[in-house]
Amino acid sequence: MPNRKYSFSPAQDEDGPLVERTLEGDRQAYEQLVRKHEKRVFRTTIAILGELADAEEAMQETFLKAYQNLHTFRRDARFTTWLTRIAVNESLQILRRRRDTAALDDPETAPQNLRPHRVEEWYANPERHYAAAELKRIVEEAIRALPPTYRVVLLLRDVEELSTEETAAALGLSIPATKSRVLRARLMVREALAAYFEKPPTLRSRLRRATSMVRNMMAMALERPGGWFGGR
Amino acid sequence: MLTCQEVLDNLSCYLDGEGSEELRRELERHIARCAQCFVIVDTTKQSLRIIADCEPFEVPLATSARLYERLAHFFAGLL
Repeated sequence: MPNRKYSFSPAQDEDGPLVERTLEGDRQAYEQLVRKHEKRVFRTTIAILGELADAEEAMQETFLKAYQNLHTFRRDARFTTWLTRIAVNESLQILRRRRDTAALDDPETAPQNLRPHRVEEWYANPERHYAAAELKRIVEEAIRALPPTYRVVLLLRDVEELSTEETAAALGLSIPATKSRVLRARLMVREALAAYFEKPPTLRSRLRRATSMVRNMMAMALERPGGWFGGR
Repeated sequence: MLTCQEVLDNLSCYLDGEGSEELRRELERHIARCAQCFVIVDTTKQSLRIIADCEPFEVPLATSARLYERLAHFFAGLL
């Protein structure tokens, strides 16, 4: 098992050379950085803001600020993490302008109940039941339905494939807080997609579930020392 | 044997291939017996695959064009 402690050396940053060239005044190098990262920045801003016009404004501000502040980029993280952090801050600023408060750790938006409700099996390769454009609409709708903090966590972690540590750093959250949001986001989006992908319940599937529940309880009771059926 | 709640709490570990060997074995053991947890783990895995594959929230072309326009304008101002 690899050591999962977060360690980073500047040599690992594939954007390092483009960053250096930009700092030397090469604007084409910066344009290359923008082209490479606009997708991720846009996913971050649209996740937090929800509205296209706001997301677009936040994206423009992000790339302008990043250029103007590139000399302050200390190479203790990847460029992309640093850039995503700026995108988060720009988005939050716009959000603050629109509302009274804006924070990514707003406890009021945290759904309390994690328990999955939809537990029917899905069709095999359920995405093949929909045309590509329709599937994309379904997925985007499911993500839009999440509270902003869960949207952004899901997009960074599971679409942009940042590590837990990088997601935490980009959002200014602790690692435990990030992990708990990732889990909730995944379960919530699964629930939303289940509406489109699950098979209708059958008598057999209900029976199988009941049987497995009973077997499960028996197994746990038997294995647990001093378990449910009395003392040792 | 892990409870269903413990499986749920450790779902990310399982999907991300993290956690100890022992925990993973325990998770496998539970999932093999519990139809409900099997469905939850399997469909969460499928959800993440489908989401990543369909590349949600791509930058609209006009949005991208306006970004480069704004940057060009900014750079022109620096000259």
